[in-house]
Amino acid sequence: MAASHEAWLLENGNIKVLSKEMRYASAGRTAHNMSSSSLRKKSDRSLVSKVRVGFLRAFLGNLQEVLLGTKLSLLFLAIPMAIVAKYRNYASAWVFALSLLGLTPLAERVSFLTEQIAFYTGPTVGGLLNATCGNATELIISILALVQHKVDVVKYSLLGSILSNLLLVLGTSLFCGGIANISKEQNFDRKQVDVNSMLLLLGLLCHVLPLMFKFAGKSPELTAVGTLQLSRASCIVMLIAYIAYLVFQLWTHRQFFEADEGDDDDDVASDDESPVIGFWSGFVWLVLMTGVVALLSEYVVATIELHQCDPTTDRWKRSRTCWGNHFCIQEQIGYFSRCSSRLSNSNRLVRGPLSVIVAWIMGINMDLDLNLLETSALALSILVTAFTLQDGTSHYIKGLVLLLCYVIIGACFFVFRAPLNSNDLGLKSSPGQGIMRV
Amino acid sequence: MASSEASELLENGSIKKEMMRHGGRTAHNMSSSSLRKKSDLSLVSTIRVGFLREFLVNLQEVLLGTKLSVLFLAVPFAIVAEYCSFGRAWVFGLSLLGLAPLAERISFLTEQIAFYTGPTVGGLLNATCGNATELIIAIFALIQHKVDVLKCSLLGSVLSNLLLVLGSSLFCGGIVNISKQQKFDRKQADVNSLLLFLGLLCHVLPLMFKFTAEATASATLALSRASCIIMLIAYIAYLVFQLWTHRQLFDAQDDDDDDDVVLDETPAVGFWSAFVWLVVMTAIVALLSEYVVATIEAASDSWGLSVSFISLILLPIVGNAAEHAGAIIFAFKNKLDISLGVALGSATQISMFVVPLTVIASWIIGIRMELGFNLLETTTLALSILVTTLALQDGTSHYMKGLVLVLCYLVIGACFFVFRAPMNSSINLEYKSSQDHVTMRV
Repeated sequence: MAASHEAWLLENGNIKVLSKEMRYASAGRTAHNMSSSSLRKKSDRSLVSKVRVGFLRAFLGNLQEVLLGTKLSLLFLAIPMAIVAKYRNYASAWVFALSLLGLTPLAERVSFLTEQIAFYTGPTVGGLLNATCGNATELIISILALVQHKVDVVKYSLLGSILSNLLLVLGTSLFCGGIANISKEQNFDRKQVDVNSMLLLLGLLCHVLPLMFKFAGKSPELTAVGTLQLSRASCIVMLIAYIAYLVFQLWTHRQFFEADEGDDDDDVASDDESPVIGFWSGFVWLVLMTGVVALLSEYVVATIELHQCDPTTDRWKRSRTCWGNHFCIQEQIGYFSRCSSRLSNSNRLVRGPLSVIVAWIMGINMDLDLNLLETSALALSILVTAFTLQDGTSHYIKGLVLLLCYVIIGACFFVFRAPLNSNDLGLKSSPGQGIMRV
Repeated sequence: MASSEASELLENGSIKKEMMRHGGRTAHNMSSSSLRKKSDLSLVSTIRVGFLREFLVNLQEVLLGTKLSVLFLAVPFAIVAEYCSFGRAWVFGLSLLGLAPLAERISFLTEQIAFYTGPTVGGLLNATCGNATELIIAIFALIQHKVDVLKCSLLGSVLSNLLLVLGSSLFCGGIVNISKQQKFDRKQADVNSLLLFLGLLCHVLPLMFKFTAEATASATLALSRASCIIMLIAYIAYLVFQLWTHRQLFDAQDDDDDDDVVLDETPAVGFWSAFVWLVVMTAIVALLSEYVVATIEAASDSWGLSVSFISLILLPIVGNAAEHAGAIIFAFKNKLDISLGVALGSATQISMFVVPLTVIASWIIGIRMELGFNLLETTTLALSILVTTLALQDGTSHYMKGLVLVLCYLVIGACFFVFRAPMNSSINLEYKSSQDHVTMRV
């Protein structure tokens, strides 16, 4: 007992020394990291350290760190229940709900694991890992949906994640932060936000142009090819922009993006300053978790078409994507964090183009054209967010307005019932006269 | 020799005083001036005959005073190609190439004239003649009844100024000055953005008009013409603002690059010679523009590009080549105010001056030209103005901003590349309205 206690103290003693180097050498201590870390808890080693066998103790310590190291760990129980429900052929609604519940802690753990691995691989690679793997769940869902030829599911989940990030998460955080800090001035650095807004507008341009194409062409056959080519070209452009953004963020202008490390060192210093698990164990866990994510995602995608009588777009959007990002909200009540604008960018700029290119490789025709209604919702959300954040301060009304925008958009899609996999979604044009109905 | 040197020194001595008087030192001047080179007078000064020597000096100054002067060769080639009936695409390409140095020389000559006419008139001259090429192409397109080519080339000019010129200069400037802070004065950008939004409004309303059930062609026409008058009023007010009441906002920064631009301090050619040259060059520009507009369909067929792509992307790039290079060079030197002045100023000029002018010209000629573009083009214009305004809002810049603007331009270019619409198929006139529903074909 004493030995392990000493070891613990030694570790703790070293923590202070290591912390400074670790902090700057550690892979992108981005806002993403910091937000997830609030959901972690210090693992209580007292129980495990009673086990005598060294190997077993290390293994159990590892297990405890990974599985129980989050406040969401209760939801891990949903995973076996979901698998059981699937094999016993329970009602698909149960499978759907349980899979969604199970995906939530998995998403958080995956980002934790990538962060741990990032400690070993250095700042740049770590930042890259964080940037891409942070969205592992949604990326996997997209690819699975594409394989099953559910192109619209991918498109609308993409849209939904952007909207929920921009409006719901950001709005809630601004609102709660504003209420909690009602007497103080709330500032943030607007340079990062500017770059994000510009990238979002680039993405918006890439969505709007194929849509306009449809209106401007003479007949659907002629425009379909053009729309597809344009979408693919736009995706290449967006990927270039994303790569440049990564270079910008992780290399040349890193000083814009350094997370605010002012006075919350106590909260987060202890957890993240040294990796709590080894590199290979982290890697193995990552692979395992990704596998489980894939499994649950397949359940989700497979059951979604059984809900076609519901307004599928709405449910898909709201349930799936909100869960994945919800953990962000709790973080932001104390102080305003920029994780949402960052997340939304990583989402869009990786998932959208990647999905289209994967579809291209698979021979599926996926273009970037969302419907008129969705595109205008997207455009106005981006505009509202850009203007809200542009002066570098915040208060609760800003958050409230963003939230209300989200509620309105949700209401809109709630009453809008469109058949999901029909190609023109109400837009017909014939040679004699063009008819437009939205 | 000695006397000429002495006179040069005298001239240089009085430069400082003269600098105060010359108010037409706009960003536009300074950017084009970066493409000039000091004329080497040594060869010419060996000629004994005074009159011939002066004439040759003049010639050298005007024709060879730019780094683009090699493209002047394209001009006679183009004329030859037209008369010997070479492939139409050749005529088109050669005329395009020949337009680039001519545009630059015209701006040089107006600047020379501005030395003699004083600051205000000089500023006005610069403001109007800065986009002479676009104006002349527009008028020729109008005369040949190619209204769509005209609209696309003007729109393309605005887009290329806002996205391509601005983006590439911000990008290059950001890369080169990656360690420094890059600031610019955002008041100028704000005013320009406001005017661009006004122009956008004037374009969007006639378009929206067509979607409503009660729109008649004559009502849309009347609306377009009224909007043009308003745009011209706004432009005149902007000129007053820029050249008279708030000139301090627009003064170009000329603290430490006096060496580069000092050759602009004295006029290099006399007033009347500059005037004559201006007339001659404008005539040549007119000739080449006529070729360009006449052969645009042939070129599009033989090159496999759509007419909208050529008029939207290729024509403006050529017309803006000189300003483009200048803006990039000034961004390299971290003088972003000048680059911004060039790019935004040009865009504002075209949107608020050239476009209304052509509509009024069409009114006089009797052609029914309206302001609205296609839905696709209007959307690209709106989004470009939005992205640019957002990029310039905070008064600083880095290469990422420039890169995003350039990428937006690429996407728009790709869009028009794949967009093959029949160009002169009376796009503006197919708005039928019936009693049950509005039918729309764009």
